[in-house]
Amino acid sequence: MTSPLDPTATRDAAQGALGAEHAAIWCCGLASAFLPAEAAQPLADAALAHRQRRDALIALLEGAGQRATPAAAAYATPRPVTDAASAAALLVVAEDDVAVAWRAVLERTDDRDLRTTGVAAMTASATVGRRWRSLAGVTPEVPSLPGAAPTG
Amino acid sequence: MRSVPHPVAALAPTLSRRSFAFLTAGAVALGTAGCARDEGPDELEAPWAAARADAATAAAAAGASPDVATRLTPVAEARRAHADALGAEIRRARPDRAEALDAPPPATPPVADPVAALRTSLVAARDAASTLAVTTARYRAGLVASVAASCAGWAEALT
Repeated sequence: MTSPLDPTATRDAAQGALGAEHAAIWCCGLASAFLPAEAAQPLADAALAHRQRRDALIALLEGAGQRATPAAAAYATPRPVTDAASAAALLVVAEDDVAVAWRAVLERTDDRDLRTTGVAAMTASATVGRRWRSLAGVTPEVPSLPGAAPTG
Repeated sequence: MRSVPHPVAALAPTLSRRSFAFLTAGAVALGTAGCARDEGPDELEAPWAAARADAATAAAAAGASPDVATRLTPVAEARRAHADALGAEIRRARPDRAEALDAPPPATPPVADPVAALRTSLVAARDAASTLAVTTARYRAGLVASVAASCAGWAEALT
């Protein structure tokens, strides 16, 4: 049944998804300086989708009386970004993080609208991520279980 | 991308009437999904069977033609992973359904155009899992959404 922790867990998960969207937007900006011209439009589309989900999450949290976690001024990249491949690798990390964060939201809410947004976010992560995985030379081009915690 | 039009229901610190309805519905869903004495198949058996069938189709086609093996071998691996994960959850929640899971798989019919057939099957699996991920119990929603997202990616890879 309902636990008193449930609303808190839902809020924390939504803040986590917001943090992942903030980071993904920042990564798209950094990567835009390194990716080839033919990737510019897909990258712009991906960044727009992240901004829309960011805005939806901020509205959701503020509507619930919560302070939405702001974006950081900059993020530490797991590896230096120096060329197209390393920029694409950063985008792979960002998209995978988004999938993990939204999966956590899905497991903590029964709200159908929020669940639908979460499924769309995870689906976009897998489909957009294909392009970045290919550019970064990562296989397979689609994870078997996007958003699942790595099992080792 | 759609927005989230009803923010309060999901995150309000106090329960609204609407969120109470959702929570009650969730508790009922949890009861029907998690109880070992349920009648009828588990709701994950259909996506599990589809994943197993896709894995068999992709593996058979990859074995028959080196040309498509590069494209279909990773699809076979992904769908096998989906079947394993879904099957594990069914066994955990519904030990009474082990017989259905242990039954030998139906024969894999030869397909004239396996890439096109798998693309169609992956799109259907994506749509079915996307729907189920919205309605199923919380603890299953993440797994089902992961399957939906993976199927979406592989369907595009075969386009």
